[in-house]
Amino acid sequence: MSFLEVFQYTRKDSIIHNLDPRAKLVLAFSFASVSLSYTAIIPQLIIFCFIFPLIVASKSVRRWITSMKGLGALLLFILVFNTLLSTSTTPFSYSLALTFRLVNLMTSFSLFFLTVHPDQLSQALIQMRVRFEFAFAVSMAMRYVPTLANEAYAIMDAQRARGVELDKGNIITRIRNIVPIIVPLIIVSIRRALSVAESMESRAFGASQNRTYMERLSFRKRDWAVVIVSLFVFIVVLYFNLIIGLPEWMFYGLPF
Amino acid sequence: MIMLENVQFAYEGIYSALRGVSLQINTGERIAIMGTNGAGKTTLIKHINGLLRPQNGRVFLDERNTAHMSVAEIAREVGLVFQNPDHQLFLDTVEKEILFGLKKLGFSEEEAKERSSSTLEKLGLTDLIERSPFSLSGGERKRVALASVLASHPRILALDEPTIGQDALQKRYLAELLMEMNEAGKTVIVVTHDIEFVIEYFPRTIAMADGQIIADGLTGMVLSNSKVQELCSLTSPQMTQAAKALASYFPTVSDRMTQLDELEATITQILEGGRI
Amino acid sequence: MVLVKFDNFSFKYIGAETLALRKIDLTIEEGEYVVITGPSGCGKTTLCRAINGLVPQFHRGYIAGHVYVDSHDTRENEVAKLSTIAGMVFQQPENQLVTLNVEKEIAFGPENLGVPPDEIRSRVEEAIQLFNLEQLRQKHPHEMSGGEQQRVALASILAMKPRILIADEPTSNLDPKSAESILKILCYLNKQGMTVILVEHRLDLVSQDASRIILMNEGSIVADGDPREILTLEVCNEIGIGIPKAIQIYRRLKQNGITLPEVPLSGHELAKLVKEVSQA
Repeated sequence: MSFLEVFQYTRKDSIIHNLDPRAKLVLAFSFASVSLSYTAIIPQLIIFCFIFPLIVASKSVRRWITSMKGLGALLLFILVFNTLLSTSTTPFSYSLALTFRLVNLMTSFSLFFLTVHPDQLSQALIQMRVRFEFAFAVSMAMRYVPTLANEAYAIMDAQRARGVELDKGNIITRIRNIVPIIVPLIIVSIRRALSVAESMESRAFGASQNRTYMERLSFRKRDWAVVIVSLFVFIVVLYFNLIIGLPEWMFYGLPF
Repeated sequence: MIMLENVQFAYEGIYSALRGVSLQINTGERIAIMGTNGAGKTTLIKHINGLLRPQNGRVFLDERNTAHMSVAEIAREVGLVFQNPDHQLFLDTVEKEILFGLKKLGFSEEEAKERSSSTLEKLGLTDLIERSPFSLSGGERKRVALASVLASHPRILALDEPTIGQDALQKRYLAELLMEMNEAGKTVIVVTHDIEFVIEYFPRTIAMADGQIIADGLTGMVLSNSKVQELCSLTSPQMTQAAKALASYFPTVSDRMTQLDELEATITQILEGGRI
Repeated sequence: MVLVKFDNFSFKYIGAETLALRKIDLTIEEGEYVVITGPSGCGKTTLCRAINGLVPQFHRGYIAGHVYVDSHDTRENEVAKLSTIAGMVFQQPENQLVTLNVEKEIAFGPENLGVPPDEIRSRVEEAIQLFNLEQLRQKHPHEMSGGEQQRVALASILAMKPRILIADEPTSNLDPKSAESILKILCYLNKQGMTVILVEHRLDLVSQDASRIILMNEGSIVADGDPREILTLEVCNEIGIGIPKAIQIYRRLKQNGITLPEVPLSGHELAKLVKEVSQA
């Protein structure tokens, strides 16, 4: 699971962290799209040379390395499988390109998730005209994830203390043993939801069509710069791909 | 008899919860464990019934090292009642809930049925046998959870925060039940914040702070210790406050009194006799 | 002035067999500190919810009579509107904190009401000062103790500037020191003019601060008045109220022929009275 680390937000003060989340969304999509357009090694490497400095700028290199290590098995799998099943004349070269592409894709989206706090994401969605109730439901879900996890552990403890053995038995027994965990979890979640609803209702949730927000996101010059550059790069790449075509040397790969 | 020998435990290897805890609880004792949230009280209890295993140190149940026993085995002797009954209840009827635990612990069909009905009767739940646990009130659900643990007649009974949200009558009822269990020879251990409950019904108190036991002894002495109060976020019991105030006016009066009867008798003496 | 008025109010939850509240007549004036107590199931929680409108707007059921909060009928005004008059703090701190940090939490209520952003910011700062939350500003609810969470919950309610604060067993899940500090805050707020309605079992902690105690049982109010009068009534023993031990001693002494001049609400008061009598 450690490969998920690169998608987890950490509170840091970096240039990337301080950009507007919407700008970062455009940036991530731009990188991802550019990366997806190529299945050759050299373009992917070039793209990587542009993305990685941004990871460095967001002070998250260590996380990135941990994630890549966690991803190692999957990357190896892709490499081997594609090499064996590929119909191209240079299967290994092709698979290597695909592997690099996956790394680039993950890295571009990680730029977003590493540096955007769930609240900012929520606010970004709201300012992009998503209804408040939906955006809030997303951030509330995140807020209660640790609580729910604790509840699940507590339930497992309570049932184990009654003699339920969760780690023994064949597949059928194990599935049956989920019932004493799931049922209480659902029930306490429903009770909790009612309690939370009462509290929110008592704080005028849903009262006004004109809900105000204490903190608003606003685009600064640097955010516009990021968006414009990202879109520009994307369009240029598209132009090169569809109209001009890329120089020969870009498609050099390994001969096997 | 329960014995912990220098037990150390840290969650996920990092969050130190028990830092060298040693204690001994003899059969038939009635003990309260108090301390702030995070002091390690619940972690300690979970070591007694094997839900958690020490990373260092050992836990013994009657000379047997619990390291060689599974949680299910220990559950036959140590019954742990958790704070939230909703964490356990999941079947359609109250009776099925009780039978479930009994069957898991290996009792036969007839034995289970018999124990179930006698325990339900003792706890005043006979009318609710066919009801769904989810349709019961909070207090009733707590009793069902308690019944499902008591039904297997464990020799050691441990309860985690049993008095939260209970009114005076319910607390008295619980206390009487625990006293009855204790008189029948069971060891009763309670983890709680409820000072009044402890001072009235539990002769021995273990106070914990920051993963260690900072006091272990007679309840009156432990709870009136100001250091204990400070470290465990406790306030002074009502009668201790009264005793201290009384002692400040009447120097011959003991400021260590903790029970209502004691104070009543002392005050009566002062006001009728004039001499103590 | 009268802030809360129950007029022959009865309520039964849908699917329930008995009435939760039976013909309640009750008046609460501005500035009072009312403690409501009674055995489990007596209706005290329903009573609280009837004041801020959750009953009948959120909890549907069969209703008779009216409840007026600052002259607003709770049947005809939305909970959102009533929330600016009567704020409510609940028993579980965890279920009252719905955002990811303290600032947003306090801002939540005012934002819902459409309060201008600058005003919200100043209310948030005010609340953080008042409740001593500076250290907790950016913390996730999960990183806070029960007592801290409950303080944040109180702060968030107060940011809506209500005139009445209803607290339904706010200290049940807290350790004794945190419970004490929450109750101190309530007492302080009352002294500043807030009308406080508190449901509490542990009367020894609140009977000195309260101006009035209301006893409930099986949906009805069985006693209502000054703490020193109410807590010595026989009915307290019958229905299972947590009578402060000092009062229990007072009653026992009385039964044995010794009558203290006043009803003591704490160990200190008891000792003082004993001293007075012994010197007389």
